[in-house]
Amino acid sequence: MIQDGDEEMNDYRIRQINSYKWEVEMDASRGMRVPGIIFSDQELLEHARRENTISQVANVATLPGIVKASFAMPDIHFGYGFPIGGVAAFDPEDGGVISPGGVGFDISCGVRALRSNLSLEDTKDDMENIMSIISYSVPRGLGGKGSTHLSVKDLERILSGGVKHAMKMGYGMAGDEGFIEDNGRMEGADPAYVSQTAKKRGSGQLGTLGSGNHFLEIQAVDEVYDEDAADAFGLFKGQIIIMVHSGSRGLGHQVCSDYIKVMQKASDRYKIHISDRQLAAAPLDSPEGKRYYGAMACAANFAMANRHCLAHRVRQALEKHMGSSAEKLGLYTLYDISHNIARWEIHEVNGSKKRLCVHRKGATRAFGPGGSHLPQGYMHIGQPVIIPGDMGTYSFILAGTEMAMTQSFGSTCHGAGRMMSRTRAKKTINGSQLKLDLERKKGIVVVADSLKGLAEEAPQAYKDIESVVNISTMAGLSRKVARLRPLGVIKG
Amino acid sequence: MGEKDQGKTYRKYEEIEHPSDIGLRFRGDSLEELFANAGVGMFSLIIDIGSVETIRDMDIRLSSESSSYEDLLILWLEKLLYYFEVEHMAFSRIRVKKVEKSGISAVLYGEKIDSKRHSILDSIKAPTYSMLSISRDPGSRTWEGTIIFDV
Repeated sequence: MIQDGDEEMNDYRIRQINSYKWEVEMDASRGMRVPGIIFSDQELLEHARRENTISQVANVATLPGIVKASFAMPDIHFGYGFPIGGVAAFDPEDGGVISPGGVGFDISCGVRALRSNLSLEDTKDDMENIMSIISYSVPRGLGGKGSTHLSVKDLERILSGGVKHAMKMGYGMAGDEGFIEDNGRMEGADPAYVSQTAKKRGSGQLGTLGSGNHFLEIQAVDEVYDEDAADAFGLFKGQIIIMVHSGSRGLGHQVCSDYIKVMQKASDRYKIHISDRQLAAAPLDSPEGKRYYGAMACAANFAMANRHCLAHRVRQALEKHMGSSAEKLGLYTLYDISHNIARWEIHEVNGSKKRLCVHRKGATRAFGPGGSHLPQGYMHIGQPVIIPGDMGTYSFILAGTEMAMTQSFGSTCHGAGRMMSRTRAKKTINGSQLKLDLERKKGIVVVADSLKGLAEEAPQAYKDIESVVNISTMAGLSRKVARLRPLGVIKG
Repeated sequence: MGEKDQGKTYRKYEEIEHPSDIGLRFRGDSLEELFANAGVGMFSLIIDIGSVETIRDMDIRLSSESSSYEDLLILWLEKLLYYFEVEHMAFSRIRVKKVEKSGISAVLYGEKIDSKRHSILDSIKAPTYSMLSISRDPGSRTWEGTIIFDV
């Protein structure tokens, strides 16, 4: 076990700063430019050490122009290049870089939550029917079938206009865009920087869930921790919530694949030493860096539009099933966030405001109260943070804090983080038994195309989400607003 | 998981463990066999490979500016993934005719995916450079590679 105070772990010196904050000391001999900061308790830190994730935190600290530290959130685990749960900000005036590895393959993977006027009483004994009608309306596994096949023109417009163009195509309800990060359209998107291969992979996938840890859930508000914030977000105990966890599908995956190749050449050209090919990067103001940003923003727009179309289909299904309009059912957007993204933000560094490119790879923006980008009604509370739990366990609604602004460039955790490998999960967990257990013991209706895929996403394969959320709260990175319990799950 | 060929002392491909995703180890007596086994191995992670019949064949030729076999492997697997996602094709047999650093030519045997007959196991997002390696055992002269897929 790690003792309090100094201790060597994997040859990295790790110093405990307080109960939930650890410093990977800067080691110039390894090329580190800043220290690493990990928000964690002893147990999760020990897990990160065993997985060798500390070296990924240290590798990020070697990238040019990194500001303050290479951060990791409590759900830290082993990724590609960046650790999952990694946050790093880069200063263009100091040679700062952008790295596709700091965003991930699923660009703008994220979560959309819809609230409702419905309560547990309204859906009691009806969940099987509700899940069956939603599952019929929402295409998932293999892209294509049932999805919206986009014309070349519409795809280009989605890439540059995001949710705004999806609204023009007839998806969504008036006012939705105000409750999506960047109002549903990330600035700087340029479809010319997205390859034809990526566009072809995306053209048949708008409005599809995808697989892996992606899901669509009907949940109930199980516990309210902060009445003021819950009021502002329109949440009440026993309320029915719809949560969609998905990303940019094949389009985003291909953008990442394409630009890792571009960045490997760029790293050589700009003499950026990278210790891991997945960390390949280019200066923010270089042609390669700008092209990646333009393509990444397109993928983010596609991802936001994808979640938007998925939410639209759920609304339609519920309207039909309940015989009432989405407005009457109160199916309004609570918020939509990305947890794999790099974006320009203004942050205070040593007393002065700086424009930085903040990478969040498996981490969620958690801006505190007062941000002008927030919907009017949320401004005094802070940004809503949606934490999707693993299948069959709780999800959480949190709020951003002022402390997060100074501690982690306004960032917090994004989910539970894996504990058990997929290979082991498939070997040790029986998918049909798991489905039965979730249904009989927990009363959750489960829809899954693949029982093996279901086993990989079993709750026991993940860290305890409550402890991840509690550490994020105790570290001051966000505060708890409500806990959500799943009633029905569609696994992609 | 994995498949052992008759008369061979090794598995052509097998799943390997990774903390968050899925890895594949693949082998072959030649580079051509190695690339073929990597391709079929990837499909074995995506789909119940035994259910994929070889009723269609496709000739493919891929040229690249790769400087290494590893880079070529990434392009090759990305191309196969493209056929899966865009054309909805799965392949259970691959005959690689020629592998050079500048390109690869092959014949793919498989069929269009039919959700009634085929069970999708994992959707792979991309092959990654993490732990990517191709090497030849100096003793047995067998080629071996590893790759991690983001799922």
